[in-house]
Amino acid sequence: MSICVVEHDELHALVQRLIQQGPAMGPRERQQQPGFYYFDWLNSADELVLDYVTTTLPPKKAFFPPREPFLEFSRTDPAKVRSMTDEGPFVLLGVHPCDLAAIEQLDIAYSDNIADGRYLANRARTTAIIGVDCWPDEYCLCTSVGTEQARGSADLFLTPIQRGYLVEVRTPRGQELLGDSAQLPATDQDEADTAQFRREKQRRVTAKFATGVEQFADILAAGGLTEVWQEVADRCYSCGSCSLVCPTCFCFDINDDINLDLTTGARIRTWDSCQLPDFALVAGGHNFRGERWERVRHRWHRKFLYLYTQYGRPFCTGCGRCSRACTADINLVEVSNDLIAYAQRETQNV
Amino acid sequence: MKTQAKPRVAFFDFACCEGCQLEVLSLEEQLLEMIELVDIVTWREAMSEKSDEYDIAFCEGSITREADIERIKHIRETADILVSLGACATIGCHNALKNQFSMDEVLHIVYGDRAEWFDTISARPITAVVPVDYQVNGCPASLPEFVTVFKHILMGKEYKPPNQPVCVECKLKDNLCVYEKGMLCLGPVTRCGCDAICTSYGHACFGCRGLVDDPNLNAAQDVLAKYGLSVEEIVGKFRVYNNWPELSLEESHSDG
Amino acid sequence: MSEDPQIRASKIVETYQPVAAHIVQATKLTDTEILLELRLGNGQSLGHGAGQFVQISMFGVGEAPISVCSSPTQTETFELCVRAAGNVTKALHRLEAGDWVGIRGPYGHGFPVEEMVGKDILIIAGGIGLPPLRPLINLVLENREQYGRLIIVYGARSPQDLLFTDELNLWATCDDVEFHLIVEEPDDKWQGPVGVVTVPLRKIDIEPAKTLVAAAVGPPVMYRFVAFELLQKGLPEDNIYFSLERRMKCGVGKCGHCQLNNLYVCVDGPIFCYSDLQGLEEAVEAWAPPTAEAGGKRREPGKGHG
Repeated sequence: MSICVVEHDELHALVQRLIQQGPAMGPRERQQQPGFYYFDWLNSADELVLDYVTTTLPPKKAFFPPREPFLEFSRTDPAKVRSMTDEGPFVLLGVHPCDLAAIEQLDIAYSDNIADGRYLANRARTTAIIGVDCWPDEYCLCTSVGTEQARGSADLFLTPIQRGYLVEVRTPRGQELLGDSAQLPATDQDEADTAQFRREKQRRVTAKFATGVEQFADILAAGGLTEVWQEVADRCYSCGSCSLVCPTCFCFDINDDINLDLTTGARIRTWDSCQLPDFALVAGGHNFRGERWERVRHRWHRKFLYLYTQYGRPFCTGCGRCSRACTADINLVEVSNDLIAYAQRETQNV
Repeated sequence: MKTQAKPRVAFFDFACCEGCQLEVLSLEEQLLEMIELVDIVTWREAMSEKSDEYDIAFCEGSITREADIERIKHIRETADILVSLGACATIGCHNALKNQFSMDEVLHIVYGDRAEWFDTISARPITAVVPVDYQVNGCPASLPEFVTVFKHILMGKEYKPPNQPVCVECKLKDNLCVYEKGMLCLGPVTRCGCDAICTSYGHACFGCRGLVDDPNLNAAQDVLAKYGLSVEEIVGKFRVYNNWPELSLEESHSDG
Repeated sequence: MSEDPQIRASKIVETYQPVAAHIVQATKLTDTEILLELRLGNGQSLGHGAGQFVQISMFGVGEAPISVCSSPTQTETFELCVRAAGNVTKALHRLEAGDWVGIRGPYGHGFPVEEMVGKDILIIAGGIGLPPLRPLINLVLENREQYGRLIIVYGARSPQDLLFTDELNLWATCDDVEFHLIVEEPDDKWQGPVGVVTVPLRKIDIEPAKTLVAAAVGPPVMYRFVAFELLQKGLPEDNIYFSLERRMKCGVGKCGHCQLNNLYVCVDGPIFCYSDLQGLEEAVEAWAPPTAEAGGKRREPGKGHG
């Protein structure tokens, strides 16, 4: 890995060049709602916003679309059942550390055991990722899950400094992306700016877990927290928004959509959420997670216990989207700290 | 499907604005594809021919008079498949707002000293009077769901209205949440299937597709109250579309 | 992901792409169950183990997970017993010989057939629980000398709901099969016992240490009662295998629908050892039954995971 400095204008030119070379997705401002951002395909470098706080959906939508037809079929001809062609390669720009960590986690989960070929094929179309450092808001909890300095599989990572960006060139592909762009050596001042940015970012994260993730997993594993789950469930709509905006959630549903000829159609994979009431309903009629509080518990267990145990890291990267998206104000950090406090009280009472 | 075996389709309406049928007409090219598969034999809003023999009946509107009951029963007996089309037929919609008053009062408000010329009963959806085989929700009827139901009928498949809130479809479209814009939205408790059309065009959800099976009204009241709405205002917001069966919002609120 | 995307993509198997399979024979077993015999269009054998399942596609309707119910040693074709429950399974009931469907799989973790050699085998089937156990029964019957006793307990709602009646008659007349049949709602002609599977189970004498149990008995509460009876007999938890039902959608441990705590039923199951389900609050089949307080084995749901 090497380090250099790229000035603002030079980065703008680099982005413009990438957009001209092929599709590029990055964070843009919503025209109707200034101050709110979303990941979308970019038409020009002017559209890319690098100092955004967060986006509604995470960048996983680039290679794991919310609704993806993946197989076309004809009911009359087995030879016409075939996988739908992927589109070409693209680059992903302006990804925050939390989302970089999340992409890495999706890669791990989808490659594990029986790999998900569909995901990996799409993911392989992501030929470059450029990450950028960020300022947290009151929902960000990256420092509690250790992702504030995550780089994931970013080829380049940018930290904003006085005269542009300090660029970490993390892969040969990253070097290739820089191409002819002017790469200035980082001065002591640039390094100091960068260190200052990181310190300040760390300082600004105010939402924090009261314990480390390992102790939190132990608390969840010990159980006996039904009262807290039920209290949260009382306020929960089961609308699924928390998992639908989550960068590490990877559950999906598969359904057929037939055309009006009633013969041809497509099989479609759609993001799904374990919080929705019928998620665990079987054809025989039994709902294996029919109670709202059981679904709430499953969400925390999955993120902070099961996948943590399986992969050695919580499947939460601290982006805070779930808490922002919850119209009922169910806040990930508050609930987690309620659980921790409840468990500690119970232990003292024993 | 062979041409002579095409199922015959009829459209009917009861108390409504006939907007659902207009919405179906707006399918245009898709409608042309559909009439490759079925013969439309009765549709007052769209054609002058009519027939009393049909296999599939799409019925819009609510039942508001004794005579309507007889008519919908006749349609039910004639058709193999009966579909409630839109909110009036499926959940009662605005029509059922009148059920808060006595029917006498309603007649006098509307018809004044001619009230005795008319008869009326409490408004109810078709689904409350006869069993229906398929439902299309929405005000107007949601077109994606109408087309889905149409395909399900022809393929002999059951259609279960999605038991998920509008939030799901709204999120999948990467919309900014209506609440972020400071608007109040019934999306979290309203059944999806509309492809989140209102919120995608910058409006809030008014709940026209009815509530999901197990809505957390406790949460809804907490959230709406947080935005400064009184209990009456919250009930009013729900009542625009959801009046049948009678909502028990006041009761559940007094608990919390 | 620095590898050339073209190369990488070409290496990737199409995880969710079914292969065509043709219906060799479709036999109506009851009002609600049909038996389909299928042959893969690519000429290959399905290669399943006892207890595994496939995802069967009716294109335009969807996919459904169905246990393979033919013996693993039958390789030319395989069989699926389908109960009409949802749109897909109802569409499967309309199939005739010569029609085609899509097949993915086999998926999941089946019975530990190696471990079962030399043991007494107790099979407990309730209703639609018989099909997933049938490959195991057939395997034992085909290699009868390798096993000890073969005890089969099968319960159905009514005589009309009995599956594989020819085979039931065969088991009933075989000298080396101890067969117990029971129905809940007898008709006029029924002469056998009336009740649920735990009734005959209670009367069966077993040698706990050398008996292995395979059970699939319908609703979760029935599993609990069966477990209670078995544990009362002193059977070690390690010797009990349950075939569990969950909403298997992807079949490869990704889509999340079939999760049971930290386990994916489609990959880690559907056959589970009872002892591996202990402490999992979502393994409702392995909760102690309501009457078990006397046995002192009740666990509080919600405490502990695995």
